Amino acid sequence: MSDQKPPYSELETKMKEAEELIHALRTQQVDAIVGERHIMLVRLKQAEENLKSSRNQLRALTSYLLSARENERAVIARELHDEFGQALTSLHLGLSWISRKLTPGQRPLQEKIRSLSATTTNLMRSVKNIASELRPGVLDELGLVKTLKSEAREFEGHTGIHCRFKTNTAKAKFERSAAVAIFRIVQAALTNVARHAHASRARIALMKRKNGLILSVTDNGKGISRKLVYGHDSLGITGMRERALALGGTFTLGGSGSKGTILTVQIPLSRVFIGTSR
Amino acid sequence: MKARKRERRRYAKPRRETYVFRLFVAGNESNSSQARENLARLCEKHIKGRYKIDVVDVLKDAASAHKNKVLVTPTLILIKPLPKVTVLGNLNDTRQVLAALRLNGDER
Repeated sequence: MSDQKPPYSELETKMKEAEELIHALRTQQVDAIVGERHIMLVRLKQAEENLKSSRNQLRALTSYLLSARENERAVIARELHDEFGQALTSLHLGLSWISRKLTPGQRPLQEKIRSLSATTTNLMRSVKNIASELRPGVLDELGLVKTLKSEAREFEGHTGIHCRFKTNTAKAKFERSAAVAIFRIVQAALTNVARHAHASRARIALMKRKNGLILSVTDNGKGISRKLVYGHDSLGITGMRERALALGGTFTLGGSGSKGTILTVQIPLSRVFIGTSR
Repeated sequence: MKARKRERRRYAKPRRETYVFRLFVAGNESNSSQARENLARLCEKHIKGRYKIDVVDVLKDAASAHKNKVLVTPTLILIKPLPKVTVLGNLNDTRQVLAALRLNGDER
């Protein structure tokens, strides 16, 4: 904005014009640059808006896919438990019945029945494990906090990595979708600790703070590179990030050889707890 | 003395004059459309019935832009009353635009 006559001197006027031109360009208020021979259209703003809109659409789609996957998992878990579980129990009982009917002289048959019975027991255990992996029943029955406690215990049992869980939300009631998302993030984070971190200790913390619910999973391992954190093929990390963003939260992951890996998820309280206003 | 009087007349707060604007735009690009709407709105609110807006589309009339030393669009030039004022951008910042065009306090 400039006067072409005094009170500004010519130089001051030119400077002011230049400043305004820079401001207009910086704040993306320019549509076209007019040259002596060409007019160049500048469509940065529009491109940025399009990008933002596609990103939002993609996020909404991811959120939908995550929820669809959870529902699908729940259905498969129920089918496995009800159909396979029942069938295997019947099979097990049938084998026991046959075993009781066999005479001491039918020893080879008895051994065969015992072996089949053991296989059936193993199958039943596997089905139970798969079903609980697909849909942790304990999440429905006991709630998020106890599930995470049990997850930490199981993780320590399976991997030998010392794992502790800390929270100040023991009595809180979580929204179903938030509980599932947090549980899945912890599961994925612990899988990464076991597979990649070379850690001897891991810590899970779920803390309610004024600015939101903070979930952190830390370890004392070798840390993680920036390339891995933002890599397109780091599907586990992408999944965790998308789950956090779908709840309106933030996701950060970083660390180094001396500090280990630090994963932090912050979710607005209104999206986590039942009874908090939206 | 005469010179001071002339100066005072030249920079005196404009009263009841007709405002003549020339707005340089690039077709219906986002900022250009915003500038068009913002200018019309401001004029209607502050100098209703006392303004004339000449819109120049640089995509159709590049020579005019070049002649007026317009480097980017949207560019608004207040032709009358003097002194001439040039405002760049989409004119979204109402307060700043009104101040630049000397329209603040001219709500009649």
